[in-house]
Amino acid sequence: MARTKSKRRRSREDRIMDTIIYILSIIILFMTVYPFYYVFMLSFNEGIDASLGGIYWFPRKFTLSNYSRFFDDVKWLQALGVSVLRTLVGTGLGVAFTTLVAYALSFKDLVGRKAYMTFVIFCMYFSGGIIPYYTLLRTLHLIDTFAVYVIPGMLSLFYITIGRTFFEGIPSALRESAKIDGATELKVFTRIIVPISKPFMATLALFIGVGHWNNWYDSTFFVKTKSLRTLPYLMMEIVHQFQTSSSTNMNAAAHQTSGTTSLSIQLAAMVVSVVPIIFIYPFLQKYFVTGMMVGAVKE
Amino acid sequence: MKTKKKTKWELFRKQGALQVFVWMGMIYLIIFNLIPMFGIIMGFKDYSITSGVKGIFTSPWVGMKWFREFVTDYKFGTLVRNTVMLSVLKLIFTFPLPILFALMINEIHNYPFKKILQTCSYLPHFISWVIISSISYQFLSQSGIINTLLQALHLTSKPIGFLTEASKFWGLAVFLDVWKEMGWWTIIFLAAITGISQDYYEAAEIDGASRLQKIWYITLPCIKSTIVVVLIMTMGNLFGGGLSGSNFEQCYLLGNSVNAATSDIIQTYVFDVGLSQGRYAYATAVGLIQSVISLILIFVSNFVSKKLTSQGLF
Repeated sequence: MARTKSKRRRSREDRIMDTIIYILSIIILFMTVYPFYYVFMLSFNEGIDASLGGIYWFPRKFTLSNYSRFFDDVKWLQALGVSVLRTLVGTGLGVAFTTLVAYALSFKDLVGRKAYMTFVIFCMYFSGGIIPYYTLLRTLHLIDTFAVYVIPGMLSLFYITIGRTFFEGIPSALRESAKIDGATELKVFTRIIVPISKPFMATLALFIGVGHWNNWYDSTFFVKTKSLRTLPYLMMEIVHQFQTSSSTNMNAAAHQTSGTTSLSIQLAAMVVSVVPIIFIYPFLQKYFVTGMMVGAVKE
Repeated sequence: MKTKKKTKWELFRKQGALQVFVWMGMIYLIIFNLIPMFGIIMGFKDYSITSGVKGIFTSPWVGMKWFREFVTDYKFGTLVRNTVMLSVLKLIFTFPLPILFALMINEIHNYPFKKILQTCSYLPHFISWVIISSISYQFLSQSGIINTLLQALHLTSKPIGFLTEASKFWGLAVFLDVWKEMGWWTIIFLAAITGISQDYYEAAEIDGASRLQKIWYITLPCIKSTIVVVLIMTMGNLFGGGLSGSNFEQCYLLGNSVNAATSDIIQTYVFDVGLSQGRYAYATAVGLIQSVISLILIFVSNFVSKKLTSQGLF
């Protein structure tokens, strides 16, 4: 008796709660996904037509001209190239350097380990601020070079702490047996540690890579040469144009022949820069939960 | 004593390769992190970029001149108010919402739906603020989709200037921050919830606890330590914009001459006077004020947390 009673009561509460939860979830899901869908869909619509509004679900005047103008424009192509290159080079350097330092710091008997770690944590929390940093970049002649994209962010302190925890989990017997067989420290690292650390390094590569791919900041403040601009920088420039001009002015910039506007080319650019992230997302997802947990909770 | 020292040195030499790896990292940090810290003295000197690096050390001391100038600047009040208000509003919304969202996701028992909801909610975290500002332009401008909808439903007669009215900026910034980062920070709370033993829930069920009671009396107390850690992290970067540290990017990308009254913050001001106007010494001093306040906040919140919950970041 008592059991059925409590079950009935519970099921009423269940119904009310589940209804609220599902309605809220669907609203959140829609609010998250629809903006991306909208941009994607609208990027296939003719620009001038799109500026009239009223398009919500499907393109009204389907066209690929936004993309063809994007890929015809040297300015956009160059920026895309710089972004791809900095992401590849920056990720390679960043992963190699961060992994190496994190690996060395994971040795419990490393002389001076505590001092090294204290210094790393110190650098994580303290900085000289943007102006002294800018002065440093000037002194090192990094301003207005490609190197400013890849050199300054090469060592990621946050990932050193995560990596160290990861490497500490590798049994030392693995290393020692290789050393008995006469392998050098570098060989142990490249032949044994790297292969078993692939999940960690993949996570690192994906996070650092996304950081490079999305970075608009260094191109804005540290680079002046037009051919060195990145894709996020060009998009930032257009955002600033929106900000300063009213919406009617945007249509004045329309290209009558192809029906594109700077707004519709921006849509194509947005899709071009979001698609790689969505593409690597399934690979990323497997790792980032653990990656984030170790760093945030352990510290 | 002597033998101990010797063995340590021997160990150091045995670790040759490892020490080389570490020292490469340390030298890098000394160059890119430690040296700029000495640049702070620019904030107390009459430094101009024309005198080069040497000038940082040779230019004359001016004491607190730049600090006084900032405090008496006509923009000072606005900048401080905007920085504080934006940061506090973000703390109020972006900190608790991921907890609520995690609790909600945990109550969904339809596994595929739960998975889809989670996966989609992380996605905006990986998208840059540049793209998010472009998307918000598409949706929120005078002729954007939201204003069209509001007008069609006769909820407003004139388009609302979400992006151009100073009174809307804080709301906009907080909303976008929640939209972008809520799902991401949910991960950490969900992981903590997953770690709670099922025994507690079964025991509560036998005692006839309702679902809300289980959340209130079991789930929340069990993830308290995670909540505290995340709260300290948020406090430590309060004036940067909390968990995601988005204040600068948002104010730079979404701020404009029309909403400057609420979107000008200390960080954007530092960039403006420093990098655009070239007033290095003054900008360094202004930036230093914010860093010092942030540092005090980290230590205070860490101290309070240690006292209250015997937990801290360091």
